[in-house]
Amino acid sequence: MEKSEHNDTVTILVDDIPVTVPAGISVAAAVLGHHHAGETYTNPVDGSPRAPYCLMGVCFECMMEINGEPNIQSCLVTVEEGMIVKRQVATAGAK
Amino acid sequence: MMERQTDLVVVGAGPAGLAAACAASNCGLEVNLVDEQSSPGGQLFRNIESPLGQASLDAKERAQGMALAKKFRASDITYFPDTTVWGLEPHKVSCTAEGKTKIFPTQSVIVAPGAMERPVPFPGWTLPGVLGAGGADILLRSGGTLLKDPAQPIVLAGNGPLLLLLACHLIDRGVNIAAWLDTGYWRKRIMSAIPMAVSFFDSAYLGKGLSMARKIAKAKIPFVLGAKNLQAIGTQRVEKITYEVKGETKEIATTCLLLHEGIIPRTHILSSLGAKHLWDPVQRYWHPEVTECGATSIDGLYLAGDAGYVHGGDASITKGTLAGIDAARRLGVITDSEAAFRSKQPLNKLRLTRFARGFLRYVFAPNPAIFAVPDQTKVCRCESVSAGDIRKVVLEGNTDVNEVKLYTRCGMGPCQGRMCGPALAEITAATLSTSPKKVGSLHIQQPFRPVSLENYCDTTTQD
Repeated sequence: MEKSEHNDTVTILVDDIPVTVPAGISVAAAVLGHHHAGETYTNPVDGSPRAPYCLMGVCFECMMEINGEPNIQSCLVTVEEGMIVKRQVATAGAK
Repeated sequence: MMERQTDLVVVGAGPAGLAAACAASNCGLEVNLVDEQSSPGGQLFRNIESPLGQASLDAKERAQGMALAKKFRASDITYFPDTTVWGLEPHKVSCTAEGKTKIFPTQSVIVAPGAMERPVPFPGWTLPGVLGAGGADILLRSGGTLLKDPAQPIVLAGNGPLLLLLACHLIDRGVNIAAWLDTGYWRKRIMSAIPMAVSFFDSAYLGKGLSMARKIAKAKIPFVLGAKNLQAIGTQRVEKITYEVKGETKEIATTCLLLHEGIIPRTHILSSLGAKHLWDPVQRYWHPEVTECGATSIDGLYLAGDAGYVHGGDASITKGTLAGIDAARRLGVITDSEAAFRSKQPLNKLRLTRFARGFLRYVFAPNPAIFAVPDQTKVCRCESVSAGDIRKVVLEGNTDVNEVKLYTRCGMGPCQGRMCGPALAEITAATLSTSPKKVGSLHIQQPFRPVSLENYCDTTTQD
C-alpha cells in the first residue's frame, strides 16, 4: 500500500516551479492545496485577485493556462506528468 | 464527431448517474455515460477507485462507492470521461471532449448533474483564502492542506450538513479551527424536532450524525451562535474576518475562511429546456418537478439524484436505479410489470430515506438574513456586480431577475449565473419586500457551458 502510494505521484510545473502531487487529483487542487499559490486568477473586469472557490466546475474562478491553453477550468483537469501550468495573474510587465 | 445512436445517454457519473446507467444496462439498454471528471464517482465518491479517494470516506460509504464503481466497470456501458456537456435535447446530447465535439443521438436521456453549495455573497468573499466547505473538503481529499502551515488558524462559517463533515475531516488532520460561526435559522430549526423523532427509522444515518457531533464536541471548537454580517478583509488574500454577535463586532485573524450555507440542486440543464420547476420555501431553492422514477415534464428526459431535490447520496443511488428502470420500461425493453417488480425495493428504500431524513430540510434551512449584505458586496463574481447595483436597478422598476440581469450584467459571466443566481433573486425579492418565488429565475440558454465557436459549429454541419 505504502509502496503504491509512493509511485502514485506526478510532477507538474507551476509557474516554472516543479510541484509533486498525488496522481488523480485536479490541477486546481494541486495548485491550491499542495503549491499554496494564493491568487491564481485576476478577474478581468475589476482586476481583483481570485482563487478556486468551488473546485467542482461551477464557479470558473480556477481558470489557468494549462499546456499553453488559457482559460481552462483547472478543477476539471487531472494532473499529468510534465504538465505545464501557469496562473493567469496580471502582474506588472507580465503578459 | 457523431457517435452511434443508443437507447440512453446518462449525463454524470456520480452516485445517481452510475446507478441509473447500471440499472438501465441491466434491463438490456445500450447506454452511453458522459461525465466531465476523469474517473467515476462524482463529488461524494470522488476518486473512489484510488486509495486516496477511498481513505476520505467512512466504511459504509467506501463500500457503497466501491461496489457501485465495480458494477459500472463490469457492465456493458460505454464510458466517456473528461467530456463536458453543453447542449442537450431529449434525443441529442452535445459535448466537448479533448477539444473535439461529440454528438450523441439517443432515444432517451437521464440527467444526473448533482448538487452544489448554495453560493452566498458577503463582503470579501472573492478574496483568495475564502472558499466553500465543499471545495475545502475536495482539497483535503486530494491529499492537500488548506494552508501551508497547518498550525495556522482557520474559521468555519454558515449553516449546513457539509460543515459537520468538513469539521470532522479537519479535526482528524489536527487543523486549528479558531471558530465556528453559526448562521442557522432558529425559526425553522425548532420545527425540525418533530420530523427528527422519526429519524430512528434510519438509525445508521442518525448514528453517523451523532458520532460526528460527539467528535466535534470533544474537539472543543469555539462555537458562536447567531453570527451575523460576516466580512473577509485583506488585499491579496484574506487577512482577518469580522462578524457581529449580539450587536457586538468581533474580529479574528485568519488567512482561511470556509463558508457553507447548504446544498442546492444544479438546475441549469433542465432550466434551459423549460422543464417545470417548483419553489421550496423552506430550503429556498427551485427544483424540477419529477415523478418518483425521475420522469420530467419532457418526454424521454429523466432526472436522477440531488439535482431533483437534495436528499443525499443514498437517495441518489435509489433515484438513479428507478430512472434507469423506467427508461427501459418506456422503450418497451421490459414490461410494465417487470419494471414494477424491479422498482419495488428501491422505491420503498427511497420513501423510507426521505421520510427519516425529512428533518434535515428544517435543521439546515437557510436564514434569509444572510442575503441582507451591504451595498458594496460583489454578488456576481464574474462581472463584478454589487448588491447596490442590483438594488438600484430594482428600485428603478425592474421586478424580474432577467430584467435586472440585462441592466447590470449580473449572471452574464462565464459561470452563467450559477454563483449569483440565488443571491440575485433573494436581493431583488428583499428590495421589493416579496418572496424570491415572485421575481422569476434566470433564463438559462444553451450552450449552458462555455464552448468554442469551432466546437459549436461542428454540430450544425453534421446534422
